Amino acid sequence: MIRNTDIKVAAFVATLMFSGSVLAQEDSLVAKGEYLLNAGGCITCHTKDEEDAIPLAGGRALESPFGTFYSPNITPDVDTGIGGWSDDDFTTAIWEGLNPEGDHYFPAFPFTSYTGISRDDTLAIKAYLFSIEPVSNTNLEHDLPFYMSTRLAAGAWKLRFFDAERFAPDPEQSDTWNRGAYLVRHLGHCGECHTPRGRLGVLLEDEELAGNPEFSDDKKVPNITPDKEHGIGRWSLSDIEYFLDIGMLPDGDFTGGSMGAVIEDNTSRLTREDRLAIATYIKSLPVE
Amino acid sequence: MQLRTTGALVGIVAMLGLSVQVAAETSAEDAKKYRISVMTALKGHMGTASMTVRGLVDDNGQLTGHAAGLVSGVAELHNIFQEGSAVDESEALPAIWEQPEKFAAAIKKSEEATVAFQVAVAGGDGEAIGAAFRNMGKSCGGCHDDFRVEND
Repeated sequence: MIRNTDIKVAAFVATLMFSGSVLAQEDSLVAKGEYLLNAGGCITCHTKDEEDAIPLAGGRALESPFGTFYSPNITPDVDTGIGGWSDDDFTTAIWEGLNPEGDHYFPAFPFTSYTGISRDDTLAIKAYLFSIEPVSNTNLEHDLPFYMSTRLAAGAWKLRFFDAERFAPDPEQSDTWNRGAYLVRHLGHCGECHTPRGRLGVLLEDEELAGNPEFSDDKKVPNITPDKEHGIGRWSLSDIEYFLDIGMLPDGDFTGGSMGAVIEDNTSRLTREDRLAIATYIKSLPVE
Repeated sequence: MQLRTTGALVGIVAMLGLSVQVAAETSAEDAKKYRISVMTALKGHMGTASMTVRGLVDDNGQLTGHAAGLVSGVAELHNIFQEGSAVDESEALPAIWEQPEKFAAAIKKSEEATVAFQVAVAGGDGEAIGAAFRNMGKSCGGCHDDFRVEND
């Protein structure tokens, strides 16, 4: 005979198991989000370039030919961060470069690349961001010339040069190549620095990763296509993977500076499989 | 006994004085060239050692030699950044001389990492060697980040 107490106990155990399962799922989503956040390089730009700076609380100066942009606080602080954002607010920001008020972001925020990130991945990143400690840190105003002083300029630029669309795998290519393409073109947004830009800062997609000699006043970004003379055509898959892991060039030199930060905050935290996927994709690019 | 000690001290001071004098006579250009040579040697040790660490080349005992080269080369970094030697497109940033304590601490970190690598190589555990190499590389990159001109 089944007693009432037995039913209550069974229900309690089932509730516990269900809660445990939900919690485990949430933990797994947060862990996935943390991994993807690293792959997206969010920490590098959204953390001040100072020792002991609080990660993701914004304030880093991003110098460009169009002025200096200051990255915003993306911790879940309701007043100064993104704590009040819904899932749709977040995906709209990532995919379309619009804040919850409908204002346009300048493309210093790489939504032009992030637009390819899947919904699941985007929401996993949000889940991670909402799991960290909120930090109150008011965003700084960008330091831009008068013609860039209104976000309408960003809107006009987007209307002319930007299409919001998710990454579609190429069925002709391997899973590894497609994973690499997704990481390089979208999450890792490598082209934002390594692809040359034409008029009004538009990325020249026919010259993907062929280097940007005019990245900023004092910085040139190298060609990383498989060109043997100007690019990294003499690097093996293992050389590229190891560089992305520990920052060592094939000749034994070690990078520092901005690529050093990308390696520390992003690529060194990826799995070896993902770094090899990146290398596979890069080695498949046309020579420039 | 006291005379002998005093004599020894005088000898050491004289030797120190001599070495300072020699260092002072090294031209800025030669100091830079020497520094670049040391860095090139370190780079060579790192590049060759990495191929063994990655398993691309068998270790026939060469890793021990590269580890020893790295330990002695990195220890030398304390003495080869002569003031005023950042000449002719040198990649050395002024921060080396403006923040000497921070620079010395960065080299110390590399020294410890290279010694740890040497110990790992002597231990012969592949995983530990890989981890120690990674840590050593991190210390190289960290120093370049703060004290070397960013390369293209």
